[in-house]
Parts: sequence; structure tokens; C-alpha cells
Amino acid sequence: MVSGSDVQQKKEEQLVAFQLDKEIYGVDIAMVHEIIRMQEITRIPRAPSFIEGVINLRGKVIPVLDLRKRFNLPNGQYTDKTRIVVVEIPPHTVGLIVDAVSEVLRLPVEAIEPPSPVIANVDVEYLRGVGKLADRLIILLDLEKVLTKTEKAELAAASV
Amino acid sequence: MTQYLAVFLDEVGEQIQKLEEGILALERDHHDREVLHSLFRAAHTIKGSSAAMGFERMSRLTHGMEEVLDRLRKGEASVTVEVVDLLLACLDALKAMKEEVIVHGQEITDPSELIARLERQGCRDVPASAGSLSTPPGRSDQAKGILLNEYERRILRQAALHGVEPYIVTVRVVPGCPMKGVRAFMVTRALEELGEVVGSRPSAEELEKEQFDETFSLIVLSHEDPDRLRNTVASILDIAAVDVAPWKEEVSQDEEGSPTSETRISQEPRGPSRAPEGAQRVNQTVRVDVERLDELMNLVGELVIDRIRLTRINKELAGRFNHDRLIDELMETSRHIGRITNELQAQIMKARMLPIDQLFSRFPRMVRDLARQAGKQVEFLMEGRETELDRTVIEQISDPLIHLLRNAVDHGIETPEERLKAGKPAKGVIRLRASHEENSIVIIVEDDGRGIDLDRVKAKALALGLVSEEQLERMSDQEITELVFLPGFSTAERTSDVSGRGVGMDIVRNNIQAIGGSVRIRTQRGTGTRVILKLPLTLAIMRALLVGVGEGTYALPLGSVQEIIRTRPEEVHFINQQAVILLRQEVLPILSLAGLLGLDGGQLPDGDLLCVVAISGDSKLGLVVDRLIGEQEVVIKSLGSYLGDVPGISGATILGDGRVGLILDVGRLIWMAADSRGRERRADRGIPHRTASLQPSEVVPYRVTEEPGEREEVGYAR
Repeated sequence: MVSGSDVQQKKEEQLVAFQLDKEIYGVDIAMVHEIIRMQEITRIPRAPSFIEGVINLRGKVIPVLDLRKRFNLPNGQYTDKTRIVVVEIPPHTVGLIVDAVSEVLRLPVEAIEPPSPVIANVDVEYLRGVGKLADRLIILLDLEKVLTKTEKAELAAASV
Repeated sequence: MTQYLAVFLDEVGEQIQKLEEGILALERDHHDREVLHSLFRAAHTIKGSSAAMGFERMSRLTHGMEEVLDRLRKGEASVTVEVVDLLLACLDALKAMKEEVIVHGQEITDPSELIARLERQGCRDVPASAGSLSTPPGRSDQAKGILLNEYERRILRQAALHGVEPYIVTVRVVPGCPMKGVRAFMVTRALEELGEVVGSRPSAEELEKEQFDETFSLIVLSHEDPDRLRNTVASILDIAAVDVAPWKEEVSQDEEGSPTSETRISQEPRGPSRAPEGAQRVNQTVRVDVERLDELMNLVGELVIDRIRLTRINKELAGRFNHDRLIDELMETSRHIGRITNELQAQIMKARMLPIDQLFSRFPRMVRDLARQAGKQVEFLMEGRETELDRTVIEQISDPLIHLLRNAVDHGIETPEERLKAGKPAKGVIRLRASHEENSIVIIVEDDGRGIDLDRVKAKALALGLVSEEQLERMSDQEITELVFLPGFSTAERTSDVSGRGVGMDIVRNNIQAIGGSVRIRTQRGTGTRVILKLPLTLAIMRALLVGVGEGTYALPLGSVQEIIRTRPEEVHFINQQAVILLRQEVLPILSLAGLLGLDGGQLPDGDLLCVVAISGDSKLGLVVDRLIGEQEVVIKSLGSYLGDVPGISGATILGDGRVGLILDVGRLIWMAADSRGRERRADRGIPHRTASLQPSEVVPYRVTEEPGEREEVGYAR
């Protein structure tokens, strides 16, 4: 059993797929803690613009990022499809605001290609690869980079 | 055996503490016999319990210490600086071993070199007829019965408390019995089926290696009656005789002849060791994992949040339906829940409290070492070591206190020559005091050294561009003293390797303020310096004033709110573009909180201004807010590692409606305000102290909105 699933893990990746602007993105399911509906967000003074604020996740205070702002995509409206994907990248627990969460899908490893600047409007730095599933393109995010890249500079600049 | 390991570690910790205190006392007075005795007993206790637990290195080392101490107390050798240093080195090794046992489950430090030094020490100035140090105590009179070590005795006492009988089972095997080690093993195993074997004479290892003649003894805890034990053992092959004797406390005496129970100073409630039989006024204690307490505290935190929410719902209902019986009942119930939650919270908080001695006990050694390094003579006195405060607070104040003590040794206390020249005794005094004061803890670090040189503070502050000459002229001595709290300030001309490391008083103040405390300095040239820390009892929950700004709700720690005032627009004056009001003849700068937080441009709203007078140290600032929401208890939550340090915000809390509110860091806000104002106008004209034409503002008595009837109405004023 265990070895079987090990083999499986090598062959394919399980992703949580969500919509952002015109594209479908995927993040490793192992990093996703839960998916919640949009809720009232408390703004943090002097925080970088993509940090939307903090929310109360059952008694725990977690920061929430707007991925559209993070990726410099055109601002969108929050709708009743808008979700917060709560991801855990130790030591951080962070919520990511996305347009909609579409599904959980399995992607064969051989269907994943290295990121290319042509495909997405998102900075290649944040990408782990691009997966092809049937006729769809799934952009795989490198969550660690999404959270940490350049933020350090921006966060530091904010906390003068 | 793991539950015994915790007991063991506890005990070793206690004894190490005793050793440390003793050795330091010995250093002060080389001839204190009492201290030597107590040191000997501490070493002896560790030796016994570590041997029983199988920590052989620890027991070898303490054995060596014991030998040296024994000779010292018998007057066969004399205490020298060398001996004290050696003992301290051993103590460090013991501490390291204890940590290693916690982390790795075994000792790693090799004590051989220390043991060799101890042995050399033991051989020195031995009188010609030196035959006395051969028999280590404890072994000598085995015939009389079993000498229990302190660790075993403690377990037996605990067991007795729970109604389990301790027995000493002494077994003699038939003479010439083959494989007596196996017999011993079988006896042990048979007894383990009837109870618990907590120790043996000789040790289990020696039994296994057949290092005993014909008899051995086992210490057994059992519910069974002695006959059952006896018969079970007797039925084993090759056993010649069995004796089962109940263990009694008074049988055990250490080689001094005094009951050992008297030599233990324990922080725990005493067991029956002191109380005579029948007088069972015993507080039973349970060991609880700290994490579990934290978890409990979190749960109570949630409960507090819900309680507040309940009160809010109740109020809304009451507003909607007048005088409904059910609502009254709900009100009563929620009030009751409120009281119980308060009580629960208080109890758990009490359970989390630790005596500050946990922290203080490290300091005598540190101060001694620092003083030695600096070539100063220091007497270090501590008071209020039993003062209790929350574990988390203790953790947070460790660094600031270390820094303050270093400062006291390095910069406060003068060299002996200087002191003598100034007509003071060569030995300086540093005092560390802790005490309760209403809802906070006050810790005072005080030295009788040279005091802070205000002229030097002024020169330094000018050189660093922190203040202008005119500003200095207007400042009181106290205000000048407080300049040392400014970032980057350090008056040490020579930086020693301990205190001149870039961390200064600003860090101390930041750390203390970050946990809702305050720092003050009182100093007098030539006579000394006193630093006063005021700390909250806990970091988990605090009372706060909730205010509304825009859509957001912010919490101000009550400790930093002086009062709330309502100001008419015509009372606001501008000095250098800075809005100020006059409050009881004092000029108070006012700023919009939204502007300060960067939420808007910082314009003051039209109409009457609602202004919270925030205070930190000696600085005040009027924060203009949109709404007053009320005073309530807030559960402090971290903003998390991702956001890191947010200027002006110290944390978050969950509000009654489930939203997140931010907790303001008032000290930082005042600093930010001063910084933004001061940047352009630093060397400019300052704010005049008095402007006669301004009228004092009206003070709005502020009502507590939460829990009507439970708390008294409060109008803030200090």
C-alpha cells in the first residue's frame, strides 16, 4: 500500500486548482490547509499593498494576500465565488484570495513543463512549471516564492 | 522509568541550585561551616540519585566533589580561590550534563579531567595520617539497613501519600548458589508482578554482574500485604531467607545523623516528611506539561471572546425587545458565565505562575563572573524571589534584566579604588527586587555606583543629533536621564565585551514595552542608579480600551491610556503646523490616529474631537479617534511570523463580533509621531511649555460599557 502510493506520488501530482483572472493555477494539495469563503478582513496599517489584512481563522489570526495584487493582475471584484485558500508553508500560515476554486486534480509528472514567460502574465519567478491537462494549461505556483520573493524587501521597507 | 526521570531532573535542578548558591556563599566566606555541610549534602544527594538512575558520569563527578567537600568540612583542607573555581567548573559540567540528559537522554560531557583535578585537590595538604577519605559515605553501614538516597526517599514518600506501601525486601540466597545473578533477576521480576521495584542494594547492575555476597535488598512499592510478597519470593529456587519490612521515614538518616528531610528546602508543599504521622495537612501536587497549560489558557481565551460576544448579543436583543423575561434570564446567565469565566481565567493564570526565582537564580553567578572580569567588588542582593508571575513574562524579561545587571556592574559600580576615593566602601552593592503591586509586578535593579553622568548624556545626545541645545535647556534632569532610552544611545566610553554590544537601553525599553510594561530610571550622580520595571502579570489577556478609526477597531492597553477628552475645534491650536491642545496647563500635541497609522492623510476631522490621551514613560500624545467603543478584556494574539514587525501594532485580538482588532503599541506610536514631527523641525523651535490663552479641555467621564453592574464606572485620571 505505502509503496504503491509512493510510486503514484512520483508519477503524478495532486493539485488544488483555482481561477485567477483568465488563468487556472495549481498549488500542491499538501500545502493547502483549507479553503474558506471570503470574510471580513482587517486592514494592517502600512503593510505592503498585496497584503489585504488579517482574518480570524477559528481564533487564530492569519494574514491574507490578494494574489491578483501580488501578481500585478488587474483588480477584480470580490464575488460569492471568491475564496480564501489557506496554505501552510512552515512557519507561515497564510490565506490567498483567489477568484474561484475549481477542483482538485491529478497531473501526470510528464505533463509538467518548465515555466515559460510566454504562457502566463505572472512573473516566471513565482512559477514552478506549467502542466498540460487535456486542452487546458495549469500554471503551477511556487508558493514559497510567492510568499517570500521580494516581500522581504517590501516588508522591511514598510516597517521603517 | 520516565516518570522518575522527571522527578530526578527536578531534584538535580534543585540541588544544582543549592550548589551554586553554596559555592558563591563559600566564595564570600571561606570558613562558613554551615555552607560546607549543605554543599556536601547537595553533592551527596546528586551522587545518590544519579547513580540510582544510571547516570554514571554525573555520579562519578559528584562523588569527586563530595570527597573534596568532605575534607573541607572536616577541616582537613582549606577553602581557597582555586577550590572555589574548581567547584564552579564542576557545577557548570553538572548543569551541562543535566541539559544533555534532557536533550539526549544521557550525559555527554566527559568529567574525567575535572575528576582528576578534584582528586589532585583531595590529595593536597593531606595531613600525614590521611587514611580517612577511603570509605565513601553511604556504603559504610549497609548492615544496619538500607540507606535510601534522597531520590528514592522522595518516591517512597509520594507513594505513601497515595496509599501504596513501600517495603524493603531483603533476600538471602543459599550459600554457594550458582548463577545468583539470575536469582536476583527472578526475585525482581516476581516482585514487579506484585508491585513496583524502585531501587535495589546493591544496584541493579551490580546484581546482574553477581557483585554481591549472599544478600541483597529491593525497594518495592506494592498494594499487596507483606506475607504475599514474602511467600512469592520464598517460592523461588535457591532462596534461603526473605525479610519483608515496611519502610519508615525515621529509619532513614543520612550519615550526619540528622534527618535528611530537614536539609531539603523545597519549593513544593512539604510531604509527610515534616508533618508527624496523623497530621495529614498535605497539599498534593500534580506535574502538568506547560503546553497543556498553554492550551488551557487558549481555551479560556476563546471562552472570554465568546463571553464578550454573548454580552453583545444580549445587549442587542435587549435593545430590540424591551423587557422580555427571557432576555433578562439570558442576561443573568451570561453574567454568571462571565463571573465563572473570570474565575476560571484567574485560576489558570495562577497555575501558570512561576516564582521569579526561576530567572533570578541565574543571576548571582552571572554578576559574580561579570564583576570579576571587570575587576570590581560587588555584593549582589536579591529580594522577592518568591514573587510569582506568568511564565511567558518571565521569558520575556530575561534579556532585559541581564542587560540591566550588566550595565550595573559595568557602568554603575566603580572600581574599588574609585569607590574608596569617593568615600564609599570598596564593595559596591547591586540589588534586584521583585514585588507585587496591584495588578502588576515591579522589578527594581539598583546599584550604589556612580550614577548616570547627565552632562555626558547631554553631550552624547547633542553629538548624535537626537536633541537640540534649546531643547536640552528646557529639559528636566529626569527627561535628560530618559534620553538613554533613545535608539543608538550608549554612554559607555569604553565598550567592554559584555555590555557594549550594540544593544542598549532602547532595546530594554522596547522589550519591556512590547509586553505592556514600562521602564523608568532614577539616578543620582555619585550615589547610584535605580531602574524600575513595571510588568503585567500575564501576556495572554489584558484590559484594553477599544476605539474605532474608519472601519477598523483598535485596542489600546489600559496601562497606556491616561484619559479621554472631548475637544472643541476652537480649542485646537497650531504650533509649527502641529495641532496641540492645552490640558491642565500642559501642552499636548494631538494627531489623528488614522494618519499616524498611515490610513489617511492625517487631517483632523471637523467638529468636536474625541481624543485619547496616550502615555508612555513620560511622553504623552493625544490620539484623535472616530469612536469610543469601550473597555474590555482582550485576548492577545500574535500577528504571526509572516507579517513580522508592524510599526505601531503589537498584536491582534478577536473582537466580540468575530472580527480581528489590532492592538496598538503606544510607546512605538508616540515615538513614530515624534519622529515624523521631529525630522523637519528637530533643531527648530520647540513647543513652548505654556500658553496662557489656551483653555483646558473638558474631561469626559468615561463609562465602562461592558458588563453593566459588574464593574464600577471609571473616569480616567491619574
